[in-house]
Amino acid sequence: MQAWIEFGRGPLFRLAFCLMVLGLLRVVVLTIVGIAEAYRRNSDRIVPWKAIARQTLGWLVPVRRLLGGRPVYSVTSFLFHVGLLAVPLFLAAHVRLWRGAVGFAWPALPQRPADYFTLLAIAAGAGLICGRVFHRGARALSRLQDYIWPPLLLAPFVTGYVCAHAALGPKVYQEMMLVHIYAADLIMLTIPFTKIAHCVLAPFSQAVTAVAWKFVPGAGQEVAATLGYAGLPIWVANSRSAPAAGDKKEALVK
Amino acid sequence: MNRVYRLKFILWLVVGLASAVAAARFTQGLGAITNLSDPTPWGLWVGFDVMGGVALASGGFIMTAAVYIFRLERLHGVVRPAVLTAFLGYVAVAVGLLFDLGLPWNIWHMIVFWNPHSPLFEVGWCVMLYLTVLTLELFPVPAQEFSALAKVRRILVKGRLPLVVAGIGLSTLHQSSLGSLFLIMPYRLHPLWYSPILPLLFLISAIGLGMMMVTFESHSTAWLYRRKPETEALAPLGGAARWVLLLYMATRLADLAIRGQLRYLVTPGWHMALFWLEMSVMAIVPAILFSLPRVRRTSGGQWAAAGLGVFGVVMNRIDVGGLAHLSRGNHIYLPAWTEVAISAGVVAGATLAFLFMVERFRVWEQRPADPLADPHKLPEFDRVGMTWLGVPAIAGRMVYSLGFIFAAALGLALLAPQPAASRGVDPQPVHRARGGAILWIDGNLDGFGVAFPHDRIVKRLGGDTSCVQCHHMNLPRDRASGCYECHRDMYLTSDAFQHDWHASPEGGRLACVQCHPSQPRSAAGAKPCTGCHKDLTPAGATIPVKHYRAPGYVQSMHVLCINCHVQLAKQEGKPDFARCVTCHKERRGLTDSGDTTARPDAVRGILLPAMTR
Repeated sequence: MQAWIEFGRGPLFRLAFCLMVLGLLRVVVLTIVGIAEAYRRNSDRIVPWKAIARQTLGWLVPVRRLLGGRPVYSVTSFLFHVGLLAVPLFLAAHVRLWRGAVGFAWPALPQRPADYFTLLAIAAGAGLICGRVFHRGARALSRLQDYIWPPLLLAPFVTGYVCAHAALGPKVYQEMMLVHIYAADLIMLTIPFTKIAHCVLAPFSQAVTAVAWKFVPGAGQEVAATLGYAGLPIWVANSRSAPAAGDKKEALVK
Repeated sequence: MNRVYRLKFILWLVVGLASAVAAARFTQGLGAITNLSDPTPWGLWVGFDVMGGVALASGGFIMTAAVYIFRLERLHGVVRPAVLTAFLGYVAVAVGLLFDLGLPWNIWHMIVFWNPHSPLFEVGWCVMLYLTVLTLELFPVPAQEFSALAKVRRILVKGRLPLVVAGIGLSTLHQSSLGSLFLIMPYRLHPLWYSPILPLLFLISAIGLGMMMVTFESHSTAWLYRRKPETEALAPLGGAARWVLLLYMATRLADLAIRGQLRYLVTPGWHMALFWLEMSVMAIVPAILFSLPRVRRTSGGQWAAAGLGVFGVVMNRIDVGGLAHLSRGNHIYLPAWTEVAISAGVVAGATLAFLFMVERFRVWEQRPADPLADPHKLPEFDRVGMTWLGVPAIAGRMVYSLGFIFAAALGLALLAPQPAASRGVDPQPVHRARGGAILWIDGNLDGFGVAFPHDRIVKRLGGDTSCVQCHHMNLPRDRASGCYECHRDMYLTSDAFQHDWHASPEGGRLACVQCHPSQPRSAAGAKPCTGCHKDLTPAGATIPVKHYRAPGYVQSMHVLCINCHVQLAKQEGKPDFARCVTCHKERRGLTDSGDTTARPDAVRGILLPAMTR
């Protein structure tokens, strides 16, 4: 098992980390190139840059949106993100690993706040899972990866917390560590290719929509009305069978 | 166009891997990623990237000469691709050189600091000038697409003839001077390759290669883009290449005969096998194939014969550049995978540039068009993923970048970061001292040791109570543990504590909290070793143990002995007592045969010639 742990924190970690960094760079570059191309191809070059900036910043600081449809879910999500970022980046043990590997490091969280953040992330993550599973509208919008991600993200937190605190025998400790390392490697390997890429794409998402689609305010409602879904809740609209492929083509031709 | 997309994806994979290796090359140096050494400072990069690359580019001057000097208008269609190939070949050579030079940022030195006696000086200047000429020859092709450049283009087209003449001159000069490079090493290159007419041989083979390379390249791209192959126009090239190859064979054999080295042709061994393989692939088989009308007039035959010849000439350059060198000493050079990756990456990059130029500019009479790029075409979903990535330009961007980052990440993961640019001191495990009353201390068993009068020193220091003056730390349940138990390497610091062993289930089976009762779990907050190991340090030990990192064996021995010796030398007025020879008196073989002259590594160190000349 020692060999597996060494592999997970050695070559596999390097692969996962490099792939994460390069992959995120790739999606950022592709997105920027895409925006530029859409801008060049637009018939008019009028883009509401100010409104885009305001919206983007508004989503980055979600306090303004907390009072929207599901305030509890929004607050939980915000807290989850705080714990998710603070602990892996600023845990003293991780910072020490970085200093050993690359020769420099950054200030670390003291042990006690790090513990609180870990527990916060675990609790908030569990809350998010419940919020998704027990809410009809959320269920209707969820794909398989939406259910897989929260437990996968929580696995390193749970195992890391147990390793740091419980008085374990060496064998159990190593098993916990194995799960901790491989779950983290898996997360890093998949980040650039799944929805977690929003960690770098978030600043562009408003601009992409605004430049490429040029929707006017309220366009969503108009589309829903055109499709005959006006005023219906999302799970009703989602459960209706989509028009068959042949119909779609006909619609396109028309 | 599917062939092109697949090829491009593979090329991007190779470029990605090479980029990772390149990052390691330029941050950690040559030693970290190559098998090159002082006895073999030139390897694959010189043989393949530089010498092979220059040779592969010879199609440029052959074709410009054929069309613009000899007016063979039939070949007009292949001039542009040939010049493009030559240009990219030379760019690849320059890029390859940047990897191979120890201090690549000094590459401009040859422009300012002249050394006209060096063949490399000539090669460097010729490459530089010819690359300039090639750039000017090629420039009209992309300039065609931009109306702003029309004037420049007109001037360049008008001044084409002087450019062509300059190109031919420079090219022939340094195709041959790459051979001159090796005139300096008659004792290093095997006689089957070394010859005073190496420059001439290089020139003749380059001419033959140029014709075959143009043929090979034209047919390959025709297959790739599903174009009509230019078999008719290229047939005379094959016929001419046959005569050049025959001339090459005759020159080379005559040279061997005149120098009286024919016997090596039939002396069995590595070099004979290499020579015959090289000659068959490079000259004999292609010459025969090009002589058969059925082969010369079909596109498949032309492609096969030319491809074989191209491969053979590149092999010849690699042989001269490294493989055919006499093995001296016991160093055998084989390229590391990282060297191969860089070479492949440079070639892949040049190929991608070629494909880009061909698709974007009018290198051929007509640019290849992809039916999928038609904006009026309805999207076709991928059968496996049921997705449509967009028009080819966008889909390519996504897929190629994906391949690139995967390969680059894999390369970075495989190249473990090294602690420093050099490999540092090699580990040398220590062997215990042998003997009884007199201990023979020779940690690395090289025969140079110290006869240590253990019992006499014990008596002098005060009998049995004096043990702790040197034996300052014991293994659990041991008494007077030997030095080698903790000072385990001759020069490197060893870990006398072994943290991981204590924690592993196979070893100490200790849970973390048993030594680290409080957070954070660092060495500072850990229980002292003596908390469990009561007998670790004997009472009265004068040498303190602080951090359980044992210095190297040599250093510990020297510190221990010399401090006392220096004091005694002063007290007793015997200055010699603190000098090296007091202890390092003699050399004894491991068997004590009394022969003090036979030093095994002295014999190993001499570079014995592998063969008598």
